[in-house]
Amino acid sequence: MHPHPHCSIVPPHLLAHLAAVDDPRHAVAARAARRALVQLDPLLADRAEAFAAPVPPRTAVGRPLERRISDAGGQEILPGTLIRGEGDGATGDEATDEAYDGLGATDALFREVYGRASIDDAGLPLAATVHYGQQYDNAFWDGERMVFGDGDGDVFGRFTRSLTVISHELTHGFTQYSTNLVYEGQPGALNESLSDVFGVLVEQHHLRQTVDQASWLVGEGVFTDQVQGQALRSLAAPGTAYDDDVLGRDPQPATMSDFVITASDNGGVHINSGIPNHAFYLTALHLGGYAWERAGRIWFDAAVGGGIQANSGFRLFADVTQEAARARFGQDSEEYEAVRQAWAKVEVTG
Amino acid sequence: MRIEISRSGGFAGMTRTWSLEVSPAEAEERWLPLADRAAEAPRGEEARLERDQRDRYVYHIVIGYQEVTLPESRLDEPWKELIERARRGSTG
Repeated sequence: MHPHPHCSIVPPHLLAHLAAVDDPRHAVAARAARRALVQLDPLLADRAEAFAAPVPPRTAVGRPLERRISDAGGQEILPGTLIRGEGDGATGDEATDEAYDGLGATDALFREVYGRASIDDAGLPLAATVHYGQQYDNAFWDGERMVFGDGDGDVFGRFTRSLTVISHELTHGFTQYSTNLVYEGQPGALNESLSDVFGVLVEQHHLRQTVDQASWLVGEGVFTDQVQGQALRSLAAPGTAYDDDVLGRDPQPATMSDFVITASDNGGVHINSGIPNHAFYLTALHLGGYAWERAGRIWFDAAVGGGIQANSGFRLFADVTQEAARARFGQDSEEYEAVRQAWAKVEVTG
Repeated sequence: MRIEISRSGGFAGMTRTWSLEVSPAEAEERWLPLADRAAEAPRGEEARLERDQRDRYVYHIVIGYQEVTLPESRLDEPWKELIERARRGSTG
């Protein structure tokens, strides 16, 4: 066993690349690289396997996906009446079928890519309620289920129209069962950011979009035609998602210099989330390809690794994601460098 | 008397403000006592349910010199009526 695995002359990312080669002409090199990776670190070996096979080895087992969509029938009651259970055919009701499909797409990312069985990793059924309230202009997570309004028809249309809204809400469930970041100030903005990050990753994974092809928008299509704006938030360019005469401008900052101190919105949880959102985007941009494979994996590792506490702020979160990148890909890896540079660019680290 | 209502948070994280005028008598009989009671934080099961909610709205209501901040889950019928009146009468 090599005593200092990370000082190996062949960088871990190259070993991983070699190990993943599926060409008989390079079989010997690939085998040697796989052996070297195993000696390096169990996590790095994992990575090589993850690149070689479409489904990583830690794929969740146990209870399969179970969705339950209920209809509140325009009243503010929960859960409402069950109208589509797992395996039931489409109902023809747009909100119901969008919620059902959106929960499936979200579960697919967490289960197939990250090996997590539902939001609690124990196969918890996924519950949603649609048609909540009259002209109700919001979507929320109530601690047990996602709830979707039909919109006021003036500013907002149906909230299930955007897959990123559904995946955002379900990720609040994932966060509740992992870091459980408190919903106030910086921990609250991190809670929001995780929902935006995995929210867009679900859409990118569903559409098989690379970093360059993706919109990086949250809530595209939720505004009515009367609003001047394409979406609610942008991870690529926080502060640019909308600029409307009545609603004003997207208030999200991209860097700590523009951090907003406010008492409203639980201390700006939907505002300052722009900063960690942009750090994720910069990491993904640096790495290219499919964002869920490397940048997303690092953020997922950070979220479930135990290093983030309920009251963690941006600085600690930045340290934990860097540590997650180092642990999985190595100190000399481009992944570690991408994460390090991203947090420096948004001015969370020096 | 003027009542100002500001709604922040929600999935969109957009702040909207609405206001309305009520008579001093109405403010004293209906809204000021309600604001006094609303200032008390919930306990036990209600507090736990409130703590786990995400992306809900937060209302900040100013009635004269009295101010109250209410999460959406704590809005009962009289408050909903007041907010609806303010929304109907405002353009903002």
